[in-house]
Amino acid sequence: MSLLKETDQQHLREQFSALDTPVKLVMFTQEMECQYCTETRMISEEVASLSENISVEVYDFVRDQEIAEQYNIDKIPAIAIVRGGKQPKDYGIRLYGIPSGYEFSSLIENIMMVSRGESGLSPETKEWAANLEQPVHLQVFVTPTCPYCPQAVIMAHQLAMESDMITADMVEAIEFPHLSNRYQVQGVPRTVINDDFHMEGAAPEPMLLGKLQEAVA
Amino acid sequence: MSLDLNLNIGLSTVGSSANHYDVIIIGGGPGGASAAIYTARADLRTLVIDKGLTAGALGITGKISNYPGVPGPVTGAELVEIMRGQAESFGAEFLTDKVVGIDMKAEPKMVMAGTGAFYAKAIILATGSMGRTSSVKGEEELLGRGVSYCATCDGAFFRNKTVAVIGNNDEALEETLFLTKFTEKIHLIVPTPDMKARDVLMAEVSANPKIDIRMGTALKEISGNGTVQAVRVKPRGGAEEELPVSGAFVYLQGGKPITDYLMAQLETKPDGCLMVDAEMQTAVPGIFAIGDLLCSHIKQAVIAAADGVIAAVAADKYINGREKVKQDWK
Repeated sequence: MSLLKETDQQHLREQFSALDTPVKLVMFTQEMECQYCTETRMISEEVASLSENISVEVYDFVRDQEIAEQYNIDKIPAIAIVRGGKQPKDYGIRLYGIPSGYEFSSLIENIMMVSRGESGLSPETKEWAANLEQPVHLQVFVTPTCPYCPQAVIMAHQLAMESDMITADMVEAIEFPHLSNRYQVQGVPRTVINDDFHMEGAAPEPMLLGKLQEAVA
Repeated sequence: MSLDLNLNIGLSTVGSSANHYDVIIIGGGPGGASAAIYTARADLRTLVIDKGLTAGALGITGKISNYPGVPGPVTGAELVEIMRGQAESFGAEFLTDKVVGIDMKAEPKMVMAGTGAFYAKAIILATGSMGRTSSVKGEEELLGRGVSYCATCDGAFFRNKTVAVIGNNDEALEETLFLTKFTEKIHLIVPTPDMKARDVLMAEVSANPKIDIRMGTALKEISGNGTVQAVRVKPRGGAEEELPVSGAFVYLQGGKPITDYLMAQLETKPDGCLMVDAEMQTAVPGIFAIGDLLCSHIKQAVIAAADGVIAAVAADKYINGREKVKQDWK
């Protein structure tokens, strides 16, 4: 049974017709134990079925441990969105938890951005990211019912695209209560920067850049 | 499949004509509705996105007798409904929703609302000035640690807990009803003697046994050690009281221009107002602002309506590449 309505499938086919570089969804699951693993795999496969430029590889988190380590996957369900084609590249863009509700738009926007190879960030932010000399890990906590969250997720992923030093995760807060507890998440979106800094809400790009500069100072 | 994944909400439907408009007007008060009358009558496909009939300053005004051509007295909501009906008669569409962001750089420009993405060649901002000017003690420190402005986003964190909702309008009551799905008990702190919301919402809230309504009660402080633990409230003429809660959802209003959804893409003056040129256009071509959002503005419905007409005519000029405005009279 299809998860997407026919009209939405058609809209996405039209949107994906603009994809010029192939995109690969590397999905990690474990069918017996993981909440929403099945649904996350189904979403990945259905999205991939809508364009010949999107492919999906499904791995078992336990059996395919080497590949999970290669992608630095530490929890499931997980999707790494990577560029395929002749010049494949893993930008460090990850979705942890089911990309349902409003977060489905994050998945779609990420696919478009990775294929385009252009983040759309301002020249100032790009310059800062290009000169970054230390790792930055962004974790954006979300819920599927949060309309503000995709803005925060997409901005974190835009940053990941601009620097190999930056990795950015969407983390569905309800599915990973231990992380929500660890980072004291009681509201979303909440962006955690390198474990020590955090930002509430979907902040404008200059504000997030200021927080990032503070975090790496 | 039993699980509803809601994959269609927030789905960016680029390529779909359904979500593409000539003009999107954000805010359906006198300014927004007047602009819609003119853009729709000029054959521009027009969408007005508005939080609700009683979300703005006019919608909660009780008695109006000085609006030209309408002797009254009428309520603000009645006056807005007349304007909306007039705009709809010319083909304008109205959507009850909350705008959460705008991408002004995109072409066409994108408006993200709770129900999804919408696109337009021109946007008219008409969100008024009922934004808050100050916060209560403890609110900023505990934001994201129990203080929230979005029940649909954060309600799931408060399963089987007691929370407070502070507000008196449609939004506060809708969010209160949403929270009843998760929480054990809700203290609804209404700062005014009366609610400023639709009757149907007030009836639903009053009938829900999970909701403890406290009319005419001011929020004085949100307190907690790391996370929200209590709210301190004071009823009119009564003694202060501390209510133990795990969350505080704040929907209070004030007198500041509402521009948070612009995400700093337009420069504002220190008091939060927007600057425009003589045609109501902001620094970004195709983005217009009207009514109580503007600086040095007389806060009257008829002024906002006039602003709306100027912006509508200018939007038509912008969209159709005209050098001069097209007169609507002979």
